[in-house]
Amino acid sequence: MAERLAFTAKISLGLAMSGIIYAMFLVVPQYVGLGEAGRIIIVHVPTAWVTSAAFALSAVFSIVYLRTRSALHDASAVAAAEIGTLFCIFATVTGSIFAEVVWGTFWNWDPRETSILVLLLVYAAYFALRSSVDDIARKRRLAAVYNIFACVTMPFLLFVAPRVADSTLHPNCAFLQGSKCEGISLDLNGAKIGQLGDVVVELKSVETTGELTQARVEVRMPGLTQNAELTPSLDASGKPADRPEFPGQSFRMVLIEANPQAGTVRVNMQAPGTGLLSNQRTLWVFLASNLTFGFLALWLYRIRATILHVSALVETQEAH
Amino acid sequence: MSNKLLWRATKAVFVREMRSELRSRQALNAVALFAVCSIVAVSLGLGPLNRSAELPLIHAALLWIVLLFAAFTALSRVFVVEEEQRTAAALRLAAPPHAVYLGKLLFNLVLLSALTVLIALLAIVLLRMQVKAPSIFAVMLAAGALGLVSGTTLIAAIIARSSSRSALFAVLSFPLLIPMLVTAVRGTALALAGMGWDRCLAPVQTLLAYAVALFITSLFLFATVWED
Amino acid sequence: MDAIELTDISIDYGARRVIAHLSLRLERGSVMVITGQNGSGKSSLLRVFAGLQRPSSGHVHYIANGQNSLPADARQDIGWMAPDLMLYRELSACENLRFYADVRGLTLRDSALMALLDRVGLHGRGDDIVATYSSGMTHRLRYAYALLHRPSVLLLDEPSVMLDERGHTLLAEVVDAQRAAGITIIATNDPREQRFADTLVHLEGAA
Repeated sequence: MAERLAFTAKISLGLAMSGIIYAMFLVVPQYVGLGEAGRIIIVHVPTAWVTSAAFALSAVFSIVYLRTRSALHDASAVAAAEIGTLFCIFATVTGSIFAEVVWGTFWNWDPRETSILVLLLVYAAYFALRSSVDDIARKRRLAAVYNIFACVTMPFLLFVAPRVADSTLHPNCAFLQGSKCEGISLDLNGAKIGQLGDVVVELKSVETTGELTQARVEVRMPGLTQNAELTPSLDASGKPADRPEFPGQSFRMVLIEANPQAGTVRVNMQAPGTGLLSNQRTLWVFLASNLTFGFLALWLYRIRATILHVSALVETQEAH
Repeated sequence: MSNKLLWRATKAVFVREMRSELRSRQALNAVALFAVCSIVAVSLGLGPLNRSAELPLIHAALLWIVLLFAAFTALSRVFVVEEEQRTAAALRLAAPPHAVYLGKLLFNLVLLSALTVLIALLAIVLLRMQVKAPSIFAVMLAAGALGLVSGTTLIAAIIARSSSRSALFAVLSFPLLIPMLVTAVRGTALALAGMGWDRCLAPVQTLLAYAVALFITSLFLFATVWED
Repeated sequence: MDAIELTDISIDYGARRVIAHLSLRLERGSVMVITGQNGSGKSSLLRVFAGLQRPSSGHVHYIANGQNSLPADARQDIGWMAPDLMLYRELSACENLRFYADVRGLTLRDSALMALLDRVGLHGRGDDIVATYSSGMTHRLRYAYALLHRPSVLLLDEPSVMLDERGHTLLAEVVDAQRAAGITIIATNDPREQRFADTLVHLEGAA
C-alpha cells in the first residue's frame, strides 16, 4: 500500500513538473517590459524559497541533533543543507540571468541577492568545516553548532542591515518584509545623499515649474565614468510623470513625493515586472510551481537523507 | 555554580590570558605589525584621494577591511594556542565552561580594542582620514568591535578543534559577519561625514543588537563546543 | 565521591573499536591498575573516567552520597594527570597552580601552596617559569595540578614515565595517601606500579 502510494506520488510529481515547464513557456502570457525573460520567475522564485526553507530545516535538525546526539538527525541536517545548496545555486543562476536580461546587470547587491550569496557562503563554510574535523562525533557536534550560530545571524541580514534594506529591484516586496519598497528620502538641507541598490544618488535641486515638480538627482554607479544626472518628475496630481532610465540599465528612477518648499523628495528605483502576478494565469502557474518545487525538494531530501542515514549507520556498525 | 564563583573563574581566565600575552606578546606583535603593514599598503596604493562626498565611505570601508583581517589573525589565538600547547585538557577539567568563554571573550575584546585604536590612529595619520564627529565615531567603532568579538569567539573555539585551523577561521566567520560589517561601514561613514545622532543611532543599535544576540547564542552553544 | 561506575562503555576511533562493552564499579578506598599494550585504550579510558572524552557508547556514573552527581559537579572531585597534560609554559609553577585554584573556586593559602610544591619535590622552584623546567620537573608539576584540589578520584596516566628513583617514592606516597581518601586509577605497564593494585584490568586492545 505504502509502496503504491509512493509510486503514485513520484509519477504525479513528474507530471506536475512537466506541467509547470509546459505552462511556463506556453500558458503564462508575456509581460510588457519583461518579454520572454519574465517566464524565468516561475522557476526562480520557488527555488529561492526552497533554499530558505531547507536552511531553516537544516538548523532545526542541528538543534535536534544536539539534544539527541543521534547520527540520524545529523544526517538529516546534512541532507537538508545539501538540497539547500543545490537550490541556492539554481536560484542564484536563474536570478542573475533574469537580472541581466531585464535590469541590465548580473549583480546589483539587492537585499535578496546579498542574502542568497551569504547563504551560499554559509553552506560552503558548513561543508568545509565538516571536511576538516577527523573525529566523527566531534565533526557532527561542531557542524551543528555552526549551523545554529549561522542561523542566528540571518535575521540581521534580511531585516536590519540598512544598506540592503533601503530599496530593492525585486517585485512583490510584501513577500519579504524588511526590504522596504518605499524608496529613500533625500533632503537638500540634510541627508542629500542616499543609496538605491548599489547606486549612489545625490539630490541637487527640487522645484516646480508649471504643471511639473521636477527633481535633479545626480547618479553615481559602478562602471560609470561620469556622474549622470536624472530628472524624474511628478505631475500636478502627484503622479509620477517622467521616469528616466538609469544610464546603461533598464530600470528607472521614479519620484514618489516631492516638497519643493522643504527641499525634500522621496525617490525609488522601479524595474519592469512589478505587478507581474496580477495576471490570473501567471498567478496560478506561479503557485502551482511553488508547490511542485517544494515537493521536488522534499523528494530529493528524502532520497539524500536515506542514503546518509544508511552510511551513518554503517559508520557506527563498522566499529562494532 | 554560584555567580560569585563564576565571576572569579572568569576573572582568573582573563588575567591568565593577559599575563601570558604580556610575557610573550605573540598576538600583539604580530597583529600590530599586520595593521601597520596593511594601512601603509592601502595609503601607498591609493595615493592622495580627492575630497568628495564619497570619501568618508571609502575611508570607512578601508578601515573596516583592515580591522576585519586583523581580527581574523588575532582573535582565534585564544583557543588555538590552548590546543597547540596542549593546555586545553587541564583547563577543561578545572574551569567551568562559561568562565572559559567569558574570560576569553573579555581578552579578545581588550585585544581588539587596542587594535581598533591603533588602526584608527594610523588611518587618521597615514590615510588623512577626517573624523568630523569624533565621539560618534568612537561609539561606532566600539559597537562594531563588540559585534566582531561576539561573532568570532565561538567560531575560534570551533576551529581550534578542527584540523585546518587558521584557514577555516576566516571562511567560517566571514558570512556571519557580513550584516555587522555592512552596518559598521555605513555607520562609520556617517560619523566621518559629521552626521548627528539622529542618523547614527540606528546603526549603533543594530550593531549592539547583533552583538547581544550572538553573545547569548554563544553562551548556549559554547559548552557543546568545549566538551571533550 | 563514594563510587564510580562504568556501564557498557565502548570507545571507537574511526572504524576501529578500541574498548568494547566494558562495565565496572570502583568503591572508595580501592586502587585500580589498567595495563595493556600501546594503543589498547588505557589513556582513552582514563579520559573517559575524567569526563574529558565522551565514550562512543555507554555511560559513566559518579556516585556521591548514594546519588548520581552531575558531570559538572564531579569535575571538582577528579584529579587527572597524563604525559600529554601541559601547563602554561610562560607562567611560573605558582602562577599556574594559583590559576587552577581560582578557576576551581578554591582559596589557596601560601603555606598550602608551598606544602604542595614540597610534596611533589619542587621545593624552591615554584617561581621559575615552567618553560625552563626539565621534563621530570614538568611531570612533578603535573602531580601538583592533579592533587591541588584534594580530589577523591585520582587518575594517573603513566605516572612515573619521566621520573627518577625519588619520583617512584613520590608516587608510592601519593597512592598510599589516596587509598585512604578515595579512588585511585593508574594506567601503566610498569610492573612496580602494578603492585599497588586491588583490581587489575588488562586491556586486550583492538579487536
